[in-house]
Amino acid sequence: MHAKFLAAWHGKTGRKWREYLTAYLMLAPSVTLIFVFGIFPVLFAVYVSLHRWRIRMGKFVGLAHYVRAVESLGFLLFFAAALGMGWAAWRALRQVFSRAREHEESPWWWGAPGGLLGVGGLLWVRYGVILLPGVLGIANKAVGVKRSPGLFRKLLWEALVAPHVLAALAWALGLTLAGALAWWVLYRRQPSARHSTYILQWGEGVFFLLAGVITAWFTYRQLQLNIQKAVEEGRPPTIATHLVLITMGLMLFFAAWKLWQSAVASASDKGFAFKGLAALFLLVAGWIFVAELPPVIEAGDPDLWRGLVVTVYYAVGTVPFQLGIALVLSYLLFQNIRGREFFRVLYFMPYITPTVASAAVFRLLFIGHPSGLVNRFLRLFGIAPLKWLWEPRGVFALLADGLGVHLPSWAAGPSLALVVIMIYSIWTYVGYDTVIYLAGLGNIPNEINEAAEIDGASRWQIFRHITLPLLSPTTYFLSLIAIIGTFKAFNHIYVMRETEALKTVNTFSVVIFDTFFTDTRYGYASAMAFVLFAIILSLTYINNKVQGSRVFYQ
Amino acid sequence: MSAVARKSTPNYRLRRGLLRGLLYTILIVGGIIAIVPFLWMISTSLMTLGEAISGRFLPQVPQWHNYIVAWREADFSEYFLNSVEITLITLGGELFFSILAAYAFARMKFPGRDLIFMVLLSTMMIPGMVLMIPNFLTVTWLGRVSPIKWINNWPALTIPFMGNIFSIFLLRQFFAQIPDDLFDAAQIDGASHWQFLRHVVLPLSKAPIMVIMVLSFIGSWNALAWPLLVTNEPTWRPIAVGLFQFVDEAGSELNLQMAGAVITILPILALYFLTQKQFTESIARSGMKG
Repeated sequence: MHAKFLAAWHGKTGRKWREYLTAYLMLAPSVTLIFVFGIFPVLFAVYVSLHRWRIRMGKFVGLAHYVRAVESLGFLLFFAAALGMGWAAWRALRQVFSRAREHEESPWWWGAPGGLLGVGGLLWVRYGVILLPGVLGIANKAVGVKRSPGLFRKLLWEALVAPHVLAALAWALGLTLAGALAWWVLYRRQPSARHSTYILQWGEGVFFLLAGVITAWFTYRQLQLNIQKAVEEGRPPTIATHLVLITMGLMLFFAAWKLWQSAVASASDKGFAFKGLAALFLLVAGWIFVAELPPVIEAGDPDLWRGLVVTVYYAVGTVPFQLGIALVLSYLLFQNIRGREFFRVLYFMPYITPTVASAAVFRLLFIGHPSGLVNRFLRLFGIAPLKWLWEPRGVFALLADGLGVHLPSWAAGPSLALVVIMIYSIWTYVGYDTVIYLAGLGNIPNEINEAAEIDGASRWQIFRHITLPLLSPTTYFLSLIAIIGTFKAFNHIYVMRETEALKTVNTFSVVIFDTFFTDTRYGYASAMAFVLFAIILSLTYINNKVQGSRVFYQ
Repeated sequence: MSAVARKSTPNYRLRRGLLRGLLYTILIVGGIIAIVPFLWMISTSLMTLGEAISGRFLPQVPQWHNYIVAWREADFSEYFLNSVEITLITLGGELFFSILAAYAFARMKFPGRDLIFMVLLSTMMIPGMVLMIPNFLTVTWLGRVSPIKWINNWPALTIPFMGNIFSIFLLRQFFAQIPDDLFDAAQIDGASHWQFLRHVVLPLSKAPIMVIMVLSFIGSWNALAWPLLVTNEPTWRPIAVGLFQFVDEAGSELNLQMAGAVITILPILALYFLTQKQFTESIARSGMKG
């Protein structure tokens, strides 16, 4: 037996297996680390967000954190997630069937092992969820006793063999083994070159279908509980109506978008006008429904709502300016000028400077005291010193006050402190955008410009009708990075914020960090982080749809 | 009038000269705006406290000892060394693990290769804020059950960053471009994967390794939120956190704050000027900053 095994190990099949083993060993460290610190945390964060969790794990609270953060939108978020899983399932199954049709095979048989494996996968997730509290509890049991590998092994073993954990393991293992067995039997009966693709995609489809159904059911139960509670407390259950209104609004938006696309494609002017008008009508109708949105979010956590408003101000106040300035600078640098390298190095310097250091410098430059450098500079022009980073009032309100007009609070605009942070941000990122734009300009073939010049186009015409459209992929890339960057912005704001500015500079990420770090509300902060994730995902999606269709590729 | 004729008229030359002047003016003003905060930082770091508070532009007598005070008394020497150690440990682990994984992805065949790669790649779009809370819980847990300390120690600051899909991706792209002929020749000579990797692939891959070194260096030098979470005493506090706390707590000593900022910036600037082209390219390619 032993000799036979050794022979197989050194033979031809053995070489194949040794190659596999080597590859897996080489992957092991990276895959383990990325799993532990990059994939597992997402599931763990969902788990944390569904519990009361202040430093230590508390009781299960369902979607309460999401409801506190964004009111009824919390349910919508989970319904959307369920829908996304359903979509993933549909896509996987469609691939199975189209591939089977292509090769004239029947895909149904492969559904048996695939389905078993899919359910098995879900049961493994369930096993993880059931095991988690016990494993987390080890840390509490290890308090006060001398730590040793032996003790850890003993406690871990206790957590692993708890009866309910073992039962979950049996289910997961049983279904996975059954799936593997069915796979083997089926492959013996009707071999196909595509057996693993079929089975994996069947498994994926069944896994996501079930996960989607469970998520939808869970969300529905939570919604019911919430309405029940509202009725018991004598509040009107507005949630359901909110949900219906917002969903309808979003659907109308989608219809408007589709209609507009067909309007653009339609041949006759009359058809275009008609369809365009209809699209506009749908858009307005959708807007009336979605107008429910801001009050709903506002009814949630005021800190989070303010964080969102601040982030939107911050994005609007930085992205266009930083891209515009970078475009001008790179276009000028691209002309035949002396010292191009020198300027490039200079412009790039703010970007590479460690954020904490440059933010510390800006914090002193824009200090609210009259002796600050910026205030002294303004005095040269006879302008009274401003409070800059210490100023919580909106810039528009400040300007209006100067003119003796009083503005309502909604029109106050971003606080002066936030404007300083915008200035810092533009100062930092212009260099990066310039370098990327320069690369983009370098990719435009010179012949196009020369041809246009021969045709008598002016410099402005060339810029407007050739350079700008050919740069659109670069602009698209940069704006996407910049917009997502504003939602992730943290370091410089954390350094430059002053208590005097109240909370007017706290962007979404800063609000999450404060909830987590200062208030130690881990569960709630995790829920907020998922709201952020949802926003980033939908922004990327919308940007892809809207801007992506207008990007001009050579 | 033809284009050539138009170019020689005096009117055209005047306009051209004016345009050139305007062009250089804009570029120079941009350069001044980019550089002034740096100059002011250096100038303030050389002032006495009185001069710094009064908001002068230049010190009367440069106070070079400010740097010594910041370095010694404000613990910047310790923060600086901490950051260097954190960077080296992270970089060592990251490079070693990434090279192995990238080689397997690029040059070996095994079941599930593309699936695993896609799953790893999809983690790149998860925002850091989602990962931060569970990772903090994981690290605390690990620190409480394992014999080595994690919080306030190097493991919490380095190990989570050793598995880096971006580095793996970068190296894989590069390794995949190495001609197959080289590999076949090595195999005929009886070289193992390990020997091929060490003696052929690595000597060819200096450029991507350099890129990863630069990015990893910037990453650990900039990190603020995570080290703030996992260090609560100075022993392992990196320089960004050290500077942040110095600025946040010792609010009054402006000149020392700026000296600390200069100390923090210097290594990065030195690296930038030494490896200028590669530095710019690697950042431009990755499109990210802490």
